[in-house]
Amino acid sequence: MFTRVGQSIDEIGRITQFMGRILHAAMFNRCSSHVIFDQIWRVTLQSLSTTALAGFFVGGIMTVQFTLQVKEFGALGYLGGLSTSGTIREIGPLLIAFMLSGKVGAFTSAELGTMRVTEQIDAIRCLGADPIQEIILPRFIGIVISSFFLLTVGLFMSIGGGLLMGIVFSNISPEEYLRHIPSIVTFPSILSGMFKCFVFAMVLSSICTYKGYSTTGGAKGVGRAVVSTAVATMVGIVIADWLTSLISEAIMIAFVGEL
Amino acid sequence: MIVEFKNVVKSFGDRQILKGISFGIQEGEIVFILGTSGTGKSVTLKTLVGLLRADSGEVWIDGENVTHFKEKDYLPIRKKCGMVFQHPALFDSLSVYENVAFGLRKHYNLSEEEIHKRVTKCLDLVNIHNVEDKLPQEISYGMQKRVSLARTVAVDPKILLFDEPTTGLDPITTNAVNQLILNLSHTLKTTSLVVSHDMHCALDIADKIIVMDQGEIVARGTPEEMKSCEHPLVKDFLKEALDVH
Ligand SMILES: Nc1ncnc2c1ncn2[C@@H]1O[C@H](COP(=O)(O)OP(=O)(O)OP(=O)(O)O)[C@@H](O)[C@H]1O
Ligand SMILES: [Mg+2]
Repeated sequence: MFTRVGQSIDEIGRITQFMGRILHAAMFNRCSSHVIFDQIWRVTLQSLSTTALAGFFVGGIMTVQFTLQVKEFGALGYLGGLSTSGTIREIGPLLIAFMLSGKVGAFTSAELGTMRVTEQIDAIRCLGADPIQEIILPRFIGIVISSFFLLTVGLFMSIGGGLLMGIVFSNISPEEYLRHIPSIVTFPSILSGMFKCFVFAMVLSSICTYKGYSTTGGAKGVGRAVVSTAVATMVGIVIADWLTSLISEAIMIAFVGEL
Repeated sequence: MIVEFKNVVKSFGDRQILKGISFGIQEGEIVFILGTSGTGKSVTLKTLVGLLRADSGEVWIDGENVTHFKEKDYLPIRKKCGMVFQHPALFDSLSVYENVAFGLRKHYNLSEEEIHKRVTKCLDLVNIHNVEDKLPQEISYGMQKRVSLARTVAVDPKILLFDEPTTGLDPITTNAVNQLILNLSHTLKTTSLVVSHDMHCALDIADKIIVMDQGEIVARGTPEEMKSCEHPLVKDFLKEALDVH
């Protein structure tokens, strides 16, 4: 039990160290923008439909749940505001990041793991190049940018999903649904949602690049890397969610005075 | 000595793979390392280019003690010291052409035209034609091996390490590859260290032959000296070579 905890802490340490190496490389080396754009393009294209769909349904789910709650109080007019606020600030980023981790995270760690076990990474080193700079850095930057973009798209799709469910399931008109959104969903809460998106994107890309890069042991090793990427990103995202909730709450209290 | 191993020991876990290896290579020489499967030949080459690190002993390359070099310091060494892997290890997201061009783009400030010339020349050397735009998965294993050879030769290293460059190739291509190694050493004074199972071509083109067994060097010398060597393993290798041809 204690050794397991120790190992996990070790692992977190190593991931942080790895992230440090990437950021170091980002600061001191040039990496070709061509490769980064390639990555952004591929990741975005690969996952746009999934995240958009996920976002849409997350919004829908939230609306259905809130309808059941607010109906009792006869406060159906506030439905739009409440569900949109809940989605944007918390559930949206979290669930969409889960979806994305399944797709982008698994793909990236499998790709890098395969490069490791087929000695492609050693070949890069042997040609006198630094693999962190050649293949990790562009992927890292590409994934951060495109996941952030995807999460944000998902977030705005969730508003649409919520609206549609409001109309279909709760029988309220679009105007009524939209009316209270501006008063409940404040600008800081949108910012806090987007802040979460960004943090999740960082967590996701550093875990999956690390896991892929440190793969050992043939095809089985690649399988292990993918599984542990899935687990680690899920856990990492939940922990990051909790941390960012604390942080953004603290920031909001500092600036707005109260929530 | 352009390359020197001084009593190098390497273990994985509690299995000692290299048990104190020492040898030296003069500039321009072609040295063959022979040995049965699993004796640590690939480990020797990887230790030389710093992909693996020796537990004890020293590795010298071109007058520098690189044993404790950091990864960052090793990068320029690896430009001097190119390695062809036992398995092709081509970058599978890049075309054949881009694979060969990779090192050139990295190290030299060449125009596209010059890169094109150089890549075509190197692919020519290994007899690869008309597949420049294909991905590595789309060409045969033997072709991949030759492309991988071209990729390493392209950056013009002073020292070339080949890990079984001809295993799995047909006799005609095998000859071409051996001829290429010979040519590079004659025209460019390249030093070559070749891991191989093929005693016959070792006798043909090597200046020196090293025979390894179970992580130790059991015999070494010129091809002439090898022919009269009494070590049973060397005799087996010789018998094989003389039987076949
Ligand atoms: N990364 C590694 N981790 C653990 N053991 C290893 C590693 N690399 C090599 N070995 C072990 O070292 C021994 C020697 O391996 P090596 O690849 O050098 O053999 P070889 O002489 O090249 O054989 P072959 O002719 O089959 O290529 C093997 O028994 C192998 O199990
Ligand atoms: Mg080998």
